[in-house]
Parts: sequence; structure tokens; C-alpha cells
Amino acid sequence: MNILWIVRFVSGKSMIAIHDTQVNNKRFTAVNMASNFSGVLQLTDLDDFITPSQECVKPVKVEKKQGKSVARIQIEDDGSYVQVNQDGGKKKLEKAKISLNDCLACSGCITSAESVLITQQSHEELFKVLRNNKTSASEQKVVVISVSPQSRASLAAHYGLSSSEAGRRLTSFFKGLGVHHVFDTSFSRTFSLLESQREFVERFQRKEQDSKALPMLTSACPGWICYAEKTHGEFILPYISTIRSPQQMMGSLVKGYFAEQQGLSPQQIYHVAVMPCFDKKLEASRTDFYLNKAETREVDCVITSGEVQKMLDEENVSLNDFGPAVLDTQCTMLSSVCGDEFLSHAGSGSGGYLHHVFTYAAKQLFGEEVKELTYKTLRNKDFQEVTLERDGVVLLSFASMYGFRNIQNLVQKLKRGKSPYHFVEVMACPSGCLNGGGQVKATPGQNAKELLQTVEDLYKAERPLAPEDDTRVAELYQSWLHSVGEERAKELLHTQYHTVEKMTSGLNMKW
Amino acid sequence: MEVVFSLASITFTKVLQLSGLVDNSNALKTKKMEDKALEVYDVIRSIRDPEKPNSLEELEVVTEKCVEVQELGEDEYLIIIKFSPTVPHCSLATLIGLCLQVKLQRCLPFKHKLEIYVSEGTHSTEEDINKQINDKERVAAAMENPNLREIVEQCVTEPDD
Amino acid sequence: MKEALSLVQRLSAHPDSRCWFVSWNPTGTLFASCGGDKAIRIWGREGDSWICKSVLHQHQRTVRKVAWSPCGNYLASASFDATTCIWKKKNDDFESLTVLEGHENEVKCVAWAPSGNLLATCSRDKSVWVWEVDEEDEYECVTVVNSHTQDVKHVVWHPTQELLASASYDNNICIYKDEDDDWECRATLQGHTSTVWSLSFDGTGQRLASCSDDRTVKIWKEYPNESGEGDLLWKCVCTLSGYHGRTVYDVAWCPLTGALATACGDDAVRVFKEDESANPDQLVFSLAAQVTKAHSQDVNCVAWNPQEPGLLASCSDNGEIALWRIQEDST
Repeated sequence: MNILWIVRFVSGKSMIAIHDTQVNNKRFTAVNMASNFSGVLQLTDLDDFITPSQECVKPVKVEKKQGKSVARIQIEDDGSYVQVNQDGGKKKLEKAKISLNDCLACSGCITSAESVLITQQSHEELFKVLRNNKTSASEQKVVVISVSPQSRASLAAHYGLSSSEAGRRLTSFFKGLGVHHVFDTSFSRTFSLLESQREFVERFQRKEQDSKALPMLTSACPGWICYAEKTHGEFILPYISTIRSPQQMMGSLVKGYFAEQQGLSPQQIYHVAVMPCFDKKLEASRTDFYLNKAETREVDCVITSGEVQKMLDEENVSLNDFGPAVLDTQCTMLSSVCGDEFLSHAGSGSGGYLHHVFTYAAKQLFGEEVKELTYKTLRNKDFQEVTLERDGVVLLSFASMYGFRNIQNLVQKLKRGKSPYHFVEVMACPSGCLNGGGQVKATPGQNAKELLQTVEDLYKAERPLAPEDDTRVAELYQSWLHSVGEERAKELLHTQYHTVEKMTSGLNMKW
Repeated sequence: MEVVFSLASITFTKVLQLSGLVDNSNALKTKKMEDKALEVYDVIRSIRDPEKPNSLEELEVVTEKCVEVQELGEDEYLIIIKFSPTVPHCSLATLIGLCLQVKLQRCLPFKHKLEIYVSEGTHSTEEDINKQINDKERVAAAMENPNLREIVEQCVTEPDD
Repeated sequence: MKEALSLVQRLSAHPDSRCWFVSWNPTGTLFASCGGDKAIRIWGREGDSWICKSVLHQHQRTVRKVAWSPCGNYLASASFDATTCIWKKKNDDFESLTVLEGHENEVKCVAWAPSGNLLATCSRDKSVWVWEVDEEDEYECVTVVNSHTQDVKHVVWHPTQELLASASYDNNICIYKDEDDDWECRATLQGHTSTVWSLSFDGTGQRLASCSDDRTVKIWKEYPNESGEGDLLWKCVCTLSGYHGRTVYDVAWCPLTGALATACGDDAVRVFKEDESANPDQLVFSLAAQVTKAHSQDVNCVAWNPQEPGLLASCSDNGEIALWRIQEDST
């Protein structure tokens, strides 16, 4: 008995050894894919956001007939499947069509929602469009790129330039590739900030009647939104601000206002956004941001700061190769600039929502002029608090919470009714957008923490402009938003959220 | 001298007898293993495919030859099953593995240890599937999922149950 | 073998289901068991035998592991229903204090830090969570770490330092430390060729034992990192192979005697003793005792009584718990 045992054991061991090498290799590729999206999104399983399309053919439940029919399935030389009945008759079986979306339903394959998003929205796609513009006369697209200030800062840090200089040279680079317009999302962010200020005051004023009016939670971070929709659904959605993020605000502006101005239809524009993270790709693909009539997305493609760096590498140029550039009117139309300087907003590197809403609310609701905000760090550096007190009474209590651990605690406190805040700026990434997963990575030998500090310094070095002082934005409110009517204006500035159900089809379930 | 000779002859005959016995017992053992394998096959042949209205036997996902039984000890057997899923769709292959685990756990009357594998070359992510099917904690957790359990029950329950 | 494991008592703990785990309280006077029947049972001594003192129901699915707080007044249970329940001892019974949510799917393990302030949980969602409890018994998430690429099976705290180790289906072991505002994975121990099911630190925390689906047990030791700062350096100093016929589900290092017990899928319970004279960089363990048919099915867990040397509890897929005593042979 002992001998048999040893023999079996040895053969068992060798089988396991074979398993290992191949398993580990597969694991490696999966890791590379998975690390792109924010930690929050990784945990919630992206595949539940991109569900099988209506035409999903595979896998499908077939009617189970009780019967004694025995059929065999044979694969012919041409690869088609044939059912051979007992009597010998053959019947060709239909080939199951698998669309990209169907592929997402499969749990074992490496192809997943992540990889679909990454391939559909990539710098290669942008290059394709630009190439197509050069070669084919028909189907010309007007290419517009909107660059986020965080991406600008990231590239500036990489190439050792100031944020504004990086922005200018980037414009030259894109124009050189055939891009028609390069805008800056600080401009559209001004809209988001103004609207957020108004929304907060309105919510504050109805807090006695509506238990879900406060705390107001920001909506600019898609990682946070998708997590909220999927994991907490109906409970948390009413707390989230309906204001569009700067990216999608720019989508409205470009495919709405700009298109009209230029006499173009929305499909004729190929709108690219340069963002600090991959989660923004998911945001751009939301059905809420798809223009049904025009059959086009408001933002066609999101590429990350890192992908822009790849583009530069592929074209064999560095931002340092460009001479000091000048911004032309093609690029200032929807940009926040003063001469050649890009303007920014005060507050955090993730948009400054807390800063602007706090100062506005303090003034509007309590007549207090807040010159400087004092941030108190709580549990960890990604959890900060700001309060407005008068005579020992707390009038306003605001917080910024970044990263999954803090989001967890926020939601659990809310569920227990123990949240002391009126407003929370929520971001999925620790240290906020400046530390997004799509930012340019540290070079070998470079310290990642130091790089982040440099990016933050470059970002803060840009001169801030108060949203209410932006005349161009005020102009647009008057001329464009006013003219389209209240309903349409609401659509352009706001969005909706939907509870996302976990995929419950047993055939596709991951276990 | 005579004693030595008789001792030697006794030992010699004994050896002859024993070798005969050993041969016989080996043949008996193989027959026993084959019988056990058939017993196991009888349990799994009627499991229905999760997707199609046919049994695993009809679809040739399992065959008599795919079941191997080894003796682990007194009245305990190691059962190794290698099945061939009809399509390289990963979640279906793991589902079939799950059905096999559940049916055998419930229906086999004798003490056994079970190893279920996707037969080599039939799937691109074989190792991943094999690991998952043979992880009893994963299997147990999967069966507590109502949606999955329903599908497995449908595949595993006999029509006359 | 100089020693023998003798059966003290056999308990039919979780009828018609699996018993997944047993855990002794810090004083060794009680032990908790949990299983596929979604219940937790508390066992205590009555005279010479052990009897069931109470049955706790809360979870909606299998309870996979239970852990006692260092003070012995709290019990944490990890369940396949994706929650972790904290129980407080009230006289002879336990009442459910709070339910920790957050994991996406099955929670595979829960462990209390020696300080009593921190709790770690891990799940099939590949993450390891660290929770902190305050004076008002309120739990808050301290961090969520995603260092593994697959199902995390087990987490265990270092006996004296605030150091956490996790074992995973991805064949690796990760060691975490609280580093400047957040917990980070400071070392990844690779070597096992299949799922690592369980971990156990020795009494002083200098060595870590791991057991795996690859049928081996490995012992790891920390070495000072030459570069001074940065990652921790853990090396495998011993591999016990050839002893286990199937997956090794659990390993337990006795803090009192230094004996290493293993729970195996071949129905056996084994105890290994360290060869004291061996080179500390190449440890030698020998099989001191084994019971080949400890249970009639897979043994899922082994646990040494923390106060009574030589008293070992084991539990099995057949729902049974067995108590053993390791006895020195007089010869």
C-alpha cells in the first residue's frame, strides 16, 4: 500500500508543477491589465457596467425538452458544427455570434470590460482618425482635443517645464498631427464649479424637508460614481450632485455650442479628452453621454497623460523639442487663458469643489467672507475637514475624502445616519486626480512620491481665477444656455445616475 | 540436509503459489477498478449540459474512458475524471465541473477522493479551470449562490427525482 | 516516531455539514467552531468532557472562520455571505454587536491583531481589509489592500508586531506593514506551486509556516535587508514534502511547545517537531506523530490549546471535531 501511495503522490506532484508555470504566466498578463483602473473600480468589477447587448446569442439557455433523442455534434473540416441525428441525418448548426460585448460575459477569458475600453479608446484610435483625415476625402472629422490641467501638470513634470509651457507645446504637437482645436477643461470646470455652488445652496435650503438633500457628494469622479451605482444603488444616489464633470461638461460644450458655432453636426467632430486616469474612459462610454439623434458620443475618446507621452515617443519627439509656443484663437475659445497663461482654480488638485462650494455657501448663507480655508487632517492624509464656526456654533462642516478606505467609511457612516458633514468632495484615488492611474509614471530611479509632489507644485503654480470672475463663461451662460431654454440647459449641465445590478445570470456568474 | 531441502521446496512452492496469487490479485484489482469506474460513470453520464438539452454522455463531454479509479486504501478510492467541454467557453466548462463535483459528492456510495480535470488540449485556460473546479472552498461557496445552485440542480437532478 | 496522538474526545459538532474551523479562546477554556450549517458553536469543559455551551446564528451562509479577540471577550466570524460579524461575550452567551460589510463576496478569514485594536479580513474579492475599533465598539476601515491577484484564503497577524501576512489562491504570501499613512505590501513570498491555504507564525514571530494545495508545508524566516530600508526579505528555510497525500488545509504552530500540526485532505492529522541542532538557515523538521484516519473525511483545521501543552483540536468535512493529546512515549 505504501508503494502505491508514493507513486501516486509523485505523479500528482508533477502534474501540479505543470499547472503552476502556465497559471503564473496568465496571471502576469491579467495583472498588467487590471492595474490601470482606480482601486475603487477594480474592486467593483467593471464587467457589470458593460453588459451583453440585446442581441446576445451566447451563452443562452436552450429549451430543455424531455426526450430520448440522442444527437452527436461533429466538427467538419471547415470548422462548422454539424448535428448528427440517430438516423444519420445531418443538420448544420448555426455559428454562435460573439460580439465584443458578449465576450465580456465570459468570466475566464482575459478579454474583459477593461481591455475593451482600453482598445476602443486609445491613442491608436486617435491616430487612425487623423490618418483617415489625411487620406480619405470623405468622412473628414474635425478633431478637438480637451486637455485637463492635471494631465498638463503631469506632462510638465515629466519634461521639466511649467504647466502653462507644457500646455502650449502640447498644443503645437497636436496641431502638428492634424488636430484642429485644442481646449482646456479648466474652462468647462468653471461651469461645474458654478453649478455645484448653486446646487449646494439649494440643497442646504431644503434640508429640513428632504432627508437626502445633505450631505451633498461630488460627482466629478467616475470611479466613485460607478462604485456608488453598483454597490449602494438607490440608497446613495440621491446624495450625489447631478452636475456633470468637467470632461462631460466639455462634451456638451464641444458637441453643442462649438458644433453650432462652427456649423457642424456633432458626428463631424471627433472629441478627445486627455485625462489623468482610465476611469474617465468608462465615464465617456456611459449611455447618458450618448447623443441619440446625432448618433455620436459627447466625448469620443479619452486618452491618459501616459498615453500622450506614448504618442510623443511614437512620433519621436519630446515636448522639449518644441520652441515656446503661442496660443491662437483656435484654442482659446473653450480654454481658460489670460494671454498665454493657462488659468486654474483654487483648492484641491482634484478640481477644488470643496473650496469653491464652501466659500460660496459661507457668503450666501451666512454672509461670511472666507479668505483662507483651514484643513484639518483626520484619520489619514486623504481625509480632511473644513468647518465654519461662529460663536462656537458649527455652521458648515465640509470634508474631502479620497481613496477607497475613506469612501467605505463615508458610506457606512451615512448608512448608520452618523455623517456629520454637509458636503463631501469624493475622489477614488488616494491623493486625488493628480495621482490618477493614467498619469505619467516615475522614470526608473525617480521617486514616485517626489514626482507627485512636483506635479502638485506645478499644478498649484498656475494662477487661479474665481469662477464668478470668468467673463467668457458668464457670456456663454447668457448667450448659449439661456437661448436653448431651461430644459435643454439642464440636460447640458446635469446628468443622471442608475443603480447597476450585478450580473445574475448563472451561466456567466463568476465563482 | 533433508530438512534444508524440504524447507527449500516448501519455500519454492510457496513462492510459486504466491506469484500466482499476486497475478490473480492484480487482475482482480484491475477488474475492481474498472467496476468502480463504471459505477462512477453511471452517476455522471446523465448529468445534463447547462446550455443544451442533452446529457454529458450524449455530447461526449464524458465517456467511460474518461473515468479513472485508483485504490487509496481499504475501501477508499481516488477518482480522476477528465471531461471535454463542447465549446471553449470558460464559464460553461467550470459549470460542468461544478455539476460533476456536486453529483458525485451526493451520489457515490463509497468513500472517495475526487479530482476533476478538463482533458488536455480542449481549452485555452485549462489550468485556471482545473484549479477552480478542484478548490472545494470555491465549490462550496458557489453552491450557496442561489442562481448558480438552481442551474446546477437542474443539470444534476434525475428526471424521476 | 517517539510520540503518539491519542484521541481525547470526538464531537459531532455540525450535523449534516462541514465543520470548517475551530479556534481556542486565549485562556484555552473554550473553543469555537463554525461550519456549513451557518452556525457557530461554543464549547466548554464540563468535568472531563467538552460540551456545546451555545449556538450562535446570524450569518446567511457558511461561516468559514472564527477568531477570538486577545482579551477573550469578543468573537469575530467570517462568512460566505460577505460579512464579518463581531460578537460580544455576555456571561455564558454571545450577542451580535455589529456586522462589518464591504467585501464584494465571500469573506475567507478574520484575525485580531495582538493589540486588540485592529482586525483584518480577506476575501475572494482579492482584497485584505484592516479595521480599527474604538472605545465605543465602532469599527472603521483603516485600509483596503489589493496585493493579490486572486482569492485571498487566510490572514494572520504577527504575535508581537503590527505586521500582517496573507495567503492566496495566486500561490503567494504577502506581508504588510503600516507605512507612513497607509498599509503596504512589503514582501511577496513566492515558492508554493499552488494555492496557499493557511499560515501560522511561531511563538516569537520569527518564523512563518505556510501550507498549500501543492501538498507541502514551507517555513519562512525574515532576514535583514542588506540595503537597510525598503522591502522586507523573507526566505524559505524549509520545505516539508512527501508527508501529505493531498492538499494541506491548515497548519498550526504551538506557541508553548514549538510543535507544528497540519490538517490534510488525506484525512490525517500530523505533528512535526523541529530538530534543534539544525542550521537556523536550513531548518529540519521530522514527523513526530500522525493519525492517518483522524477523521473519515478531509481535515480542515488544527488548533493548539494556547494554555495546555499538547492538546490539539481538529475538525473535518464530516462535521466532526476531535480533540487529541500528544503523548511522549516512555521508551
